[in-house]
Amino acid sequence: MLETQNLTKIYEDGRLAVDHLTMKVEPGEIFCMFGANGAGKTTTINLFLNFIPPTEGTALIEGIDVVREPLRSKEYVSFVSENVMLYGNFTAIQNLDYFTKLAGKRGLTKADYAAVLQSVGLQKDAYDARSKTYSKGMRQKLGLAIAIIKDAPNVILDEPTSGLDPKSGQEFLKLLTAMRDKGKSVLISTHDIFRAKLIADRVGFMKNGKLGLLMTRKELEGKDLTELYVQYMDERD
Amino acid sequence: MLKDIIRKEIVETITSPKFVFTFLLCAVLILLSVYTGITNYSSERKEFNAAVALNKKNLESQPSYQALAGLGTKINRPPQVLSAIASGVDEAVGRVATVNVAYDPNLVDSKYESNPVFSVFGALDLTFIVKIVLSLFAILFTYDAIVGEKERGTLKLTLSNKVPRDRLILGKVIGGYISLLIPLIIPLILSLLILMVYPDIHLTGGDWGRLLLMFLVFFLYLSVFFTLGLFVSARTNKSSTSFLILLFIWVVFVTVIPKVSVMAAAQIKPIPSVHEITSKKDAFLQQVQGGAQKKVMDWVKENSPKPGEDQKAFQDKFKKFLEDYQQDLTSQIDANNAALERDYQAKKRAQQNLAINLSRISPASALTFSTMSLARTGLDENQRFLDSIRAYKPIFTKWANAKMMSNIDFTGGGATAKVVLDDMPLHSFENESLSKSLARTIPDVVLMAVLIIVFFVGAYVSFLKYDVR
Repeated sequence: MLETQNLTKIYEDGRLAVDHLTMKVEPGEIFCMFGANGAGKTTTINLFLNFIPPTEGTALIEGIDVVREPLRSKEYVSFVSENVMLYGNFTAIQNLDYFTKLAGKRGLTKADYAAVLQSVGLQKDAYDARSKTYSKGMRQKLGLAIAIIKDAPNVILDEPTSGLDPKSGQEFLKLLTAMRDKGKSVLISTHDIFRAKLIADRVGFMKNGKLGLLMTRKELEGKDLTELYVQYMDERD
Repeated sequence: MLKDIIRKEIVETITSPKFVFTFLLCAVLILLSVYTGITNYSSERKEFNAAVALNKKNLESQPSYQALAGLGTKINRPPQVLSAIASGVDEAVGRVATVNVAYDPNLVDSKYESNPVFSVFGALDLTFIVKIVLSLFAILFTYDAIVGEKERGTLKLTLSNKVPRDRLILGKVIGGYISLLIPLIIPLILSLLILMVYPDIHLTGGDWGRLLLMFLVFFLYLSVFFTLGLFVSARTNKSSTSFLILLFIWVVFVTVIPKVSVMAAAQIKPIPSVHEITSKKDAFLQQVQGGAQKKVMDWVKENSPKPGEDQKAFQDKFKKFLEDYQQDLTSQIDANNAALERDYQAKKRAQQNLAINLSRISPASALTFSTMSLARTGLDENQRFLDSIRAYKPIFTKWANAKMMSNIDFTGGGATAKVVLDDMPLHSFENESLSKSLARTIPDVVLMAVLIIVFFVGAYVSFLKYDVR
């Protein structure tokens, strides 16, 4: 489970990025965070991963405070970032092997890696090609493969579908749904309202560091998410 | 985990095009520089042997001791075998000095004097390759070590795992350094093999020790730029910024500081020109010669034999007087010249030491000084050689004067005895011992070690606080 309690981040320049945020992503749930650039979505993710310290409040992964026990908390989370380039001179297998070892998993074979790469839909002939020759979609699939193979109970994705073509985007969503079905807590930060609506169990809109207009899948039925988004932003302004 | 990080660093680097480029360039430049150094040494050794033989032949062919004393003997500086690796000042300083009764000996006829175009570009020795080219490679390998990972997003991905930052930076340092050494070590080993099998190169055990120490200094020097690269990479947010900063520091270290130090030392501690010293020496010589003529005339006037007195006894007495007086005059001239020279050398050395110490801030200068000391091609070794010639001068002069005087034939009208060199004292010079050379490299090695520690700690601390976003 991913959880924040009163989480606040004020940067050195005085900018309030996250404002007393309290939220939860339950196991077996996909939670999509929407919001304009600078709304605080990525800052929230950075706080979860302890890349930056909070000004106030706590972020918890499986109940572990990420500031007090950063290394232990990272055992329970996988991360897929936006437009990850990975190691360009490495093949998909080499990248996967390295990050798998960093995740603390040993003894996996090339066949295991191939199976994961197949599950994310990467073409076979790309397994041994240098990842610098990959398209963005292929890199995102490889990034997701890294997250899958770690098999952590929580997954955090930062703009994972941006720039993906429709087919790759659709495949990507299927993989996220499969993760959710395995009981993982999935937190996605995205601008991609259309795709998010297809898989989200809950959505929330972020502005000025605050999360509002929280809605479940059921509440979203029959509603135009884009209109809701625009209305919400206008109201707050 | 550390092993995985090190392995990743090595594999990532050696599979990159920059590694292939670096490896090929290193191999070509290192082997070329060593080969050039060896052939230079070989031809200098032949020149040296020929010059020594020619000098002996010249001396033997002199018609008299007087002619020999005037011509003097030539002392050639033997080439150092390790100049093949670090030519130091060998090509800039004179290779031969003439020792005669009249003038103070000085080393002249440097390679640069014979062919000034060499001085424009300098020598392509291994020290030069390490100082200029390999230090740039060290920068090329590290400028994006951390900031590049940030730009690629791999740093966030890595640190989203249970990876302590201190272990990550340590792995990057070890793996990166090994990757840098691979393209360097293979050509260096090949160079050693060339040195072992080349017929004109005879390295003693001490020379091998010196060579290995020089290689250690090379590794230290490269470590300075390697850790500097990591440090700057951990302090910047763009790899292009990191590269520009490193390039600027490299230019300052490698070219600006050494040159500015020499110029600053010349301003702070000025020394008289060589012409000023020479004119002072000449003035004293003229003064002494003028007084000498009068003194000889006076002596003859006072001691001329009266009619009926023994002419032979007078001649013997006159010879003895001339011999003693000649020795006395030479001693006076030598003493004056030595005093002037001492003063000049002291001032020159003070200026030189100031320039050296100022320039030592730069690791490039530290590398140059330490490898020159180890190769025995530095300023100190050259000065020691010159001192040994100057110490030899009075010995030679005494011998030449004694020979001249004892062979004056008043009856036959001049000195005509055949020149025999069997008892001529020979110049000798002991190469500096390894322990002394090593002691002189200590400040440079310590300085480089301090820079490495400072940069490494800087990189380490910066990375612990590095904003990975």
